This record gives sequence, C-alpha cells and structure tokens, in this order.
Amino acid sequence: MHPALQISNLAFSYEHAEHPFRLALPSLTLQPGEQCLLTAASGRGKSTLLSLIAGLIDPHAGTIEVAGTNLHSLHGHKRDLFRGRHIGMIFQTFNLLQGFSALENVMAALMLSGQPPKAQHEKAAALLDQLGIKRQAAPVETLSVGQQQRVAVARAVAVDPVLVLADEPTASLDPENAAAAMDLIQQLCREKNAALLCVSHDPAMSARFTRREKLDASPATEAMAVGGAAR
Amino acid sequence: MTDWTIILRSMRARLFSTVTTVATVAVAVALMLVLLTMRDAARRAFDKGGGNMHLLLSRDASPLVSVLNGLFYAGSPRAPIKFSEFESFAANNPLVEWAVPVQLGDSYQARYPVVATTPDFFKLFRPEPGADWAIQGHPFEIDFEVVLGSRVASETGLKIGQWITLTHGFPSQDGSGAGLGHEHNQFKYSIVGILEPTGQAYDRAVFTNLMSTWIIHAFDRIEKEAHAGESDEEHADHADDHAHGHDHDHAVAITAADVTEEDKKITNIFVRVRSREGSDASAALPVLFDRLRRGQGFQGGITVAQPKQELDKVWQIVSNVDRIILAIAAAVMLSSGIAIMLALYNSMEQRRRQIAVLRVLGASQSRVLGLVLTESAVIGLLGAATGIALATIGALIAAGIMKRQLGLTIDPTLQPVAMILVAAGTIALASLAGLVPALAAYRTSVMRNLRPIG
Repeated sequence: MHPALQISNLAFSYEHAEHPFRLALPSLTLQPGEQCLLTAASGRGKSTLLSLIAGLIDPHAGTIEVAGTNLHSLHGHKRDLFRGRHIGMIFQTFNLLQGFSALENVMAALMLSGQPPKAQHEKAAALLDQLGIKRQAAPVETLSVGQQQRVAVARAVAVDPVLVLADEPTASLDPENAAAAMDLIQQLCREKNAALLCVSHDPAMSARFTRREKLDASPATEAMAVGGAAR
Repeated sequence: MTDWTIILRSMRARLFSTVTTVATVAVAVALMLVLLTMRDAARRAFDKGGGNMHLLLSRDASPLVSVLNGLFYAGSPRAPIKFSEFESFAANNPLVEWAVPVQLGDSYQARYPVVATTPDFFKLFRPEPGADWAIQGHPFEIDFEVVLGSRVASETGLKIGQWITLTHGFPSQDGSGAGLGHEHNQFKYSIVGILEPTGQAYDRAVFTNLMSTWIIHAFDRIEKEAHAGESDEEHADHADDHAHGHDHDHAVAITAADVTEEDKKITNIFVRVRSREGSDASAALPVLFDRLRRGQGFQGGITVAQPKQELDKVWQIVSNVDRIILAIAAAVMLSSGIAIMLALYNSMEQRRRQIAVLRVLGASQSRVLGLVLTESAVIGLLGAATGIALATIGALIAAGIMKRQLGLTIDPTLQPVAMILVAAGTIALASLAGLVPALAAYRTSVMRNLRPIG
C-alpha cells in the first residue's frame, strides 16, 4: 500500500515576489491514517506547501506523491478531479460556499469528485446528521461559527479522501470550540483512515499529535546572500 | 446537485445585481424589438400603399403630390378630371386591364375623407397585391349608400343601418372662408358596409358612389345659379345661413336626372395595365406610362405616378431617420452587453473566493469558465425573454399612441424572426460579455483567494 503522502527533495522559491523566500523540504512521508502537526516559521511557507501538495502550484524541484500518484504529472481537469477525489482541505476561515445550504456545501464536494447526484444527497445528509447539523437546508452563513466549522470538516472528509490538509483549522475559534473541532477532525480522519497534515501555530495543538514536524522555509534575502557568495 | 445548482445559487447570492442586469438587458431588447417592429410596420405600410394598381392619374402638381393626396389623403386634389375623359381613356386603351375612377374632396365630419368611386373599387382594386377587401355588410350598390373604413366605424361608433350626412369639401383649417365646407342635411347616406382594418389610409375613409357626390354637386350648382342675382351683402348673410344647413324655401328635390356632364368630375384614376397571370410586372407599363406622360388621350395633360416609385422616394427620405433608429438600437444593445460584463466583472471580486473553493473541491479551470459563461448566457436569456414580453406590451402601447396622435395604423405584432434573432443575438452578446469575467475566473489564483481577509 502506498503512503498517503510522500514528499522528496521538494524545492520552491518566490524570487520575484514582493517578499521573496525559498522553501525546501527534503523528505516527508505520511502513512495512511497517520496524523502529523507541521509548524512553520513563515506563514507564507506553509500555505505554499499546502498549495504544492494540493497541486494548485508546481514545485521547482522534487516530487509530491499522494496515494502513489505524482500529482504534478497530471494535467488540467485530471489533476483537479484527483484533488477533488483524494484530498480534503479545511481552512481557518472555513471557506464555505456562501448562499449554499450546509447540505449543498457537502454535496458540491461530492459532485465535483464525480459522484452521481442521487448518492450526493444521501451521503451528505448522513454525514451532517452524524455531526449533529440540524438545519441542513438553511444557508450556511446563518449557522453558528462552531456549526460552520463542522460543515467545513464534513465537506473535507465527505469524499473519503486519503489525505486531509488542515490550514490553521482552529484559529477562528474560541478555545472550547477549537478543542471540539480538533476532536472532530482527528476522530473523523481516524474513522475514514485519512492521513491528516495539520499546519498550526497554536501551542495547544502539539499535545494532540505524536508526530510533529518543522518546516524549513528561509527568507529569500538569506538565500540570495548564499547565491551571492557562491558567485 | 449539478452545475446548474451552482449557477442558480450564484445568481441568487447576487440577486440585486442579477435582477438589475436582467432588467437592463430586458429594456434594451424591448427597445430594439419595438424599434425594429415599428420600422418594419412602417415599411410594410409604405410597401403596400399602391396595392395592385400600377399607375395613379390625377391633375396634381407632381407625381409625389398625386400619391400623397390620392393614397394618403394628405390634401384634396384641386384640378378635376372630366368623367368623359376617364370613359374615353378606359374604352380606348387595350393596354389597360382596368381603370377605376375616384373622386376626392368631400369629407365626413371634416375628419374622414370621402372616396367617391364605382363598385369596381372593391371588385378590381386591391389594398395590397393578393389581399382582397374584407367587408362586413356589403359594398355600396345604389346611390347614397356608404361603406366606412374600420377606424371611422370604431372612432364614431357608427353601425350598419345608421344614416350619416357628408360635408361638401373640407372646412378650412384657419376658420376663414366659411363657404369652403358645408353639410348637406337633406342628403342622408345609409351605412351598408364596414371595412375590416387594412392598416392603410383606407381605414379612415368613407366610400360611396360617384353619382351620389355628383348629385350634391348638381344641387350646389343649381342653388348657386338661383342665388346668382342676390346682392353681395345679402349673399354674405346667406353664406352664414348656408353653412348652418340648407334651410331654403326654394329647396327642390335634385336627382340623377339633374346631373349634367359638367357635374361629372373625378380627381383620380387608378390604373392597372395588362400583365401575365400571377405576375405584377408588365411590359406594357413603361409604354403606357410614357404615353400618358406625354398627355396622350387627355386634353391639357395628366399627372401620371407610379405609386411604388413615389413611395420609394419618400422612403428614401425617411430611411435616413430609419438608419439613426437602427444605430440607436445597436448602441442600446451594446450598452446592455457592457452592463452584463460590468455586473459579472464586479461580482467576480466577490466570487473569487467561491471559485477558489470550487477549484479546491475538484472543479477544473474550464469548468469554472463554463459556469461563469453559462451564468452570463442565462442572464442574457432571462433578459431577452423579459424584453420580448415588455416589447409585446410596448408595441401595443406604441401602436395605440401612433393611432391616437398620428393617425397611423400600425400592426404591432412582433416578427417571430426578429424575436428569434434578437434573442439569439442577446444570448451571444451576453456570453461574449461573460468572457472577460470568465477569463478572470479562469486565472484566479486559488490559494491567494482562500486566505483569511485582512
């Protein structure tokens, strides 16, 4: 069985951007169902890494494999469909579809991963029932913050992904809600046997993870200084 | 859930923008359709002006005046044609298929022109080629019977079986010259028929036979002769009295027997030359046209007009305005296209996040492009549909106003072809307008738009 995530010799840099920086990750492997906390010095570094893993941007060097597939060898709609089917994402601001109901938010994920309309409704409703979302037909923005985060979690795991990427999932929540949300994320990932890569600065987070990694993303000024010395 | 759900939710989430854009498009489509329809209706009214007649003869100053007076009743022809001239023309011209005499100059209530003619007018002449007259009741058969145009009947409420009196001449517009028009109360006309609407000037005309008109002319002549000896002062008093109706002690019954050759005058002759069956063109037409132009057969010459050519001249004058109308319609369409683009583009700022989320959930760039394009096409479609509904109502109102204010009868029915073309054009334009925001959506940087605001 392939690892859920396997990164090797990853390199990426923004050199022409306003705040240039360089990102390097020699190796990171997550087995199916494994949960890992990633801390990063730079905020830019972690969102860039998540974009790379999700296949939204391409690395300059190295490979990223999700469930044995090199995402960056896929092109166009194939890569998008692969992401929709195998990767779930959870965001600090939830990024729910405004104007859509809780049910429709989850159904959208199922639809875009290629599930037939009939199965979408059944699956989404069952999952939201399980998470205790009662007003499934109400516009999602009318739900409480805690409930919105649950819908966002439900949307991420609804497609039975091999990998869930969580980007500061608790930063918008009070400590009580944050703990509940993390309980839910970790429990659901375990249930679905999805690997979880959680990026966070929250110190309360580290106790929840047995595996903790630190991302090495250096400001480009340094990298450029190195480059200058080599010349 | 399908892509349509996403489109509908997206439109609903920006309901105000969606509704105002649809309204903008609808108004543009409606305006365009009404303009095109009115233009088309006007063109058709012009096109069928001459009906199945080839030549219009009169003693007006020019062919154009002849057509405006003879077909549109713009004014009364002044110089008459003797009926004997008509008879000899009709009898001695093998090139002529038919010739119908018409006398204009009298009116009903000073508003509706009287067309005095023969029953041939309804038998041989057609208001437009291939279309027969449709008459409720029957055409006039004997003296003092009249047929009313559809508008005369609808505006006055007159019905078949009722009686009316006609005015000799039109009272002058400025109030001077009281003698120019006067009513003949002792000559009552029986309404025997009412025309179905033709969309032409005939709708506001009253039709009767020549002899009825001649009898009244004979009456006037005899009366004038009887008063010839009176002094000027007395005559002026009398003229006043005269205008209030012929309440004279010497009134005598005037009949067809009193009509002399001098009374038998007409103003126009409708002519159709011989042509092959089913064809409107005729080799004889230029020959006859040329002969008549040289005044052959008419003492003192005749004005000969080809109504189609004269109407084309008028249309050419009008068509400059017509081109401006078309340009306005095109500009309105273009501005509504820009409105769609603007509405979608402005909403792009709000929807970048939504597009980014859809991309993360597995939507490809082309699918997102399709969603935005479809949304703009749907706005175009809704706008076109609403616009067609508005135009249908608008055309009815415009036709009503034109009828009331200008006395023009216009068929307000929208052309199905125009509707389909305008609808298709609108949707195409809407899709085109959607292209700019769709490309912006296509290029949306996913990660940047998912970041927390601030």
